Amino acid sequence: MGKVFVAGVGMTKVGRIFNKGYKELAMEAVDKALNDAGIAVSEVDYLVVSSAFSDSLLNQVDISSILAQEMGIDVPAISVNTGESSGVAALEAALNAVRAGKSNTALIIGVEKLSEFPSAKINSSFSHVLDYEIEGIRGIAPINYAALLLKEYMKRYGVKRDDIFQWAIEMHKRAEKNPYAYLRFALDLDKARNSQVISSPLTLYDVAPLADGAAAAVLVNEDLQTTIRTQPVEIVATASATAPPIYLRNDMLDMLATKKALERLRTTVKFKMGKDIALQVHDSFSIYGFLALEELGVCGRGEGVKAIGDLQYLNVGGGLKARGHPVGASSLYALDETVLLMRDSFSGLRYDGDAALIHSISGAENNAWLALLKR
Amino acid sequence: MDRPEGKTGIIGWGVYIPRYRLKASDIAKLWGFDPTTPSSLGIHEKAVAAVDEDSITMGWYAASSAIKRAGIKPEKIEAVFVGSESKPYAVKPSGTVIGDALGVSRKRLTTDLEFACRAGSEAVRLVVSLVSSGTIGYGLAIGSDTAQANPGDVLEFTASSGAAAFVIGPAEDAAARFEAVVTYVTDTPDFWRREGSKYPMHGEGFTGEPAYFHHITSSVNLLMEETGLRPEDFDYAVFHQPNGKYPLRVASKLGIPKEKVLPGLVTPWIGNTYNASALIGLSKVLEEAKPGQRILVAPFGSGAGSDAMSLIVTDKASARVNEAPTVEDFLSRKTYIDYAEYAKSRHIIWRNWG
Repeated sequence: MGKVFVAGVGMTKVGRIFNKGYKELAMEAVDKALNDAGIAVSEVDYLVVSSAFSDSLLNQVDISSILAQEMGIDVPAISVNTGESSGVAALEAALNAVRAGKSNTALIIGVEKLSEFPSAKINSSFSHVLDYEIEGIRGIAPINYAALLLKEYMKRYGVKRDDIFQWAIEMHKRAEKNPYAYLRFALDLDKARNSQVISSPLTLYDVAPLADGAAAAVLVNEDLQTTIRTQPVEIVATASATAPPIYLRNDMLDMLATKKALERLRTTVKFKMGKDIALQVHDSFSIYGFLALEELGVCGRGEGVKAIGDLQYLNVGGGLKARGHPVGASSLYALDETVLLMRDSFSGLRYDGDAALIHSISGAENNAWLALLKR
Repeated sequence: MDRPEGKTGIIGWGVYIPRYRLKASDIAKLWGFDPTTPSSLGIHEKAVAAVDEDSITMGWYAASSAIKRAGIKPEKIEAVFVGSESKPYAVKPSGTVIGDALGVSRKRLTTDLEFACRAGSEAVRLVVSLVSSGTIGYGLAIGSDTAQANPGDVLEFTASSGAAAFVIGPAEDAAARFEAVVTYVTDTPDFWRREGSKYPMHGEGFTGEPAYFHHITSSVNLLMEETGLRPEDFDYAVFHQPNGKYPLRVASKLGIPKEKVLPGLVTPWIGNTYNASALIGLSKVLEEAKPGQRILVAPFGSGAGSDAMSLIVTDKASARVNEAPTVEDFLSRKTYIDYAEYAKSRHIIWRNWG
C-alpha cells in the first residue's frame, strides 16, 4: 500500500463571517491549499467535502458537486457527513481513494457557514447530531450531556469547578498565537468563572463557539510527493468507531468510541502516546477535552487538569474551544494546524516529535475518528 | 464652505419618559435567563408606557415641552414629522393628531417616518433642510416609540418607551446650532418586523459589527472627513443606545473617551426608547452643556443607517432648561411595576374586547 502525503493546507479565519458565503469561504481555503502545494486546480482528480449542516442550514444537498462546479472541475466528488467529526471522515475517504489508486491528487474541503441564522436555529440543527427520534424530540442537546458528564467527573475525581476552566484558559493562550482563530484573547479565571451559565454547571467558556470557516488539504500519492514544494507530512492511518448512546453505557465517563478507534488504530500502526506528542483532541465542551486526554492514555483518569499545563503540543491552534468550531471543518483545521506544526511553521512552535494524532468525535461521542500523521 | 445646516439650530427640546419601570432582573427571572444577562447588556431597568399611553401621546408631550422651551407660538410651526416604529395606526398619520393637539399651523407639512430607530433622526434632517432652504420658518421633529419585543427574547430587556422632540428653526435663535449633518445608509438586514407581525426579529450578533458599529463609525468618520473635525474637538458624544454597552464600545472605536459619552447615556435606566434613544441623550446633554461646547450626535437605525451631527451649544440654552420638565426630572420620577403589570400595559396579554 503506497504512502499518502499532505501536500498543501489552507484555512480561512474562523468566526462570524458576515460578508462571505460558503462558496467564497471554501474557495479561499482551496486557493490557499493549492498554492501551498504548488498544484493547479486542474490537477485535482478527486474531491471530498465535509460539511455537517449544508443540508439543514445552507439548503444545499450534494455540496461536493456544487463545489466541483464552482471550481470548474469534473472529478469524482463526494460529500461526507459524520456530524462533528466529518473532517477526519473526509480525510479517510480521500486517503482511501489515493491508496486505492483512484486518485493521485485528492482535495479535501471542510466548510461550515452557520452565522446566516439566529442561534436558536443553529443550536437546533447542532442538536441533530444526536438521535433525533430519541433525544432530539425530548429537547436533549449535546450540551446537556456535557453538563451531566462534567458533574459526574467533578464528583468522581474530586475536581473543582475552577480547575475545569484551565482547559479554556490554556486554549485561549494557544488561540492568541493562531492567526486563524476566532477567540484570540487571553482568558483569566475570573472572567471564565463569571461567565453565563449555559447548562449548569457548564458556563460560556466551557463551550466551543459554533462558527463559520473553511479548511482544505491536498493529498498526494508517493509518486507525486517528490514534486511538491512543501515538506511532506504523511497520513499514516485513520481509524474510527461508533458506540452505543451515552444513556446505554455502563459508565458515562468512558469514551467508548474513542477507545475502540484507538484499538483499531494500534492494530495498523505503532506509536507512542505521551505528554510530548502533538495531539488535537475534540473539545466541543471542555469536559470532552479532559476525557479525551484520559481515554487516549495521555494521562490517568481524573488527571487531565494536572496534565494540561505540560502539554505544549496539545490543540496548538486553540482547539474547538478557542479556535472555534466550524463543525464540518473543525477537524480539518486540526489537520492543517498539525501539518503546519510538523513543518515547523505554526504559532512559532518547534515540534521535534515525528508523530501526531488527531481526535474527533460527534455529539455525545456517538462516533470517534482518529488520524495519525508522521513526517 | 458654509454648510446649509449652519443656518439652523435647535430652538427648543422636550422629552417624555413614562413613569413606570420594569427591572431587568425581573425579566431575567421570569424567562430563566442567567442572572448576569442584564449586566452583560448594561441595563438595570426600562421605562414602560402605561396602558393608555402610545407613541402619539408621548410624542405630543415631548413636542409641547419643546414648544415651551422654544418660546414660540405653535402656529409658527410649519412642519411636523414623527419618526416611530410603533405607530398606533398602521394607516393614519400620527403627525396630524399631534399637530392639531398642539395647535400647530394647518398650513404645514406632516408625515410619519419609518426607519427603525433613526426615523426621528431623519425627521431632524428633513426639518433642518426645510428651514435652511427657507421653505419653512420652524418645524417639529419628533421621535417616539413604545417599542415591542417578543416576550422572552433578549430584546425584551431593553425595548422600552419614550419620546423626544425638537423645534428647529433659524440659527440666530438656537439653543444649539447645527454645524454639520451627514448620513450613511446601506441595505443591511439586521433587524426587521414583517407586515402583520407583532414583534420584530433580529440577527443577534449581526446587529453589532456589520450594523450598529459599521454604520455609526462610517457616518461619524464621514462627518470628520467633511468638516475636518477630530474626536477631541467634541465635548460630548451621544450615540444610539440599544443597550448600555454598545455606545461605549463605539466611542472607544472612534477614539472618544467614555467621560464624553456617559452624560448622554440613559439606556441603563430607561431602556432603548428606539426613535427617542439618542435624542433623549442629546436633550440631557443640552440641559447641562455650556455655551460653545460641541456635541456629536450619531443615531442609528436598523436596516440600516446612521446620521452624524455636530451641534454647538449657544448662550441661549441654559435659560430654556427649566421651561419644561428636564430629562433628569423624568429619570427620577419612577414607579416600579412587576412583569404582570408590564404585560398588561404593553398589550402582551391577549384578551377579547367585548
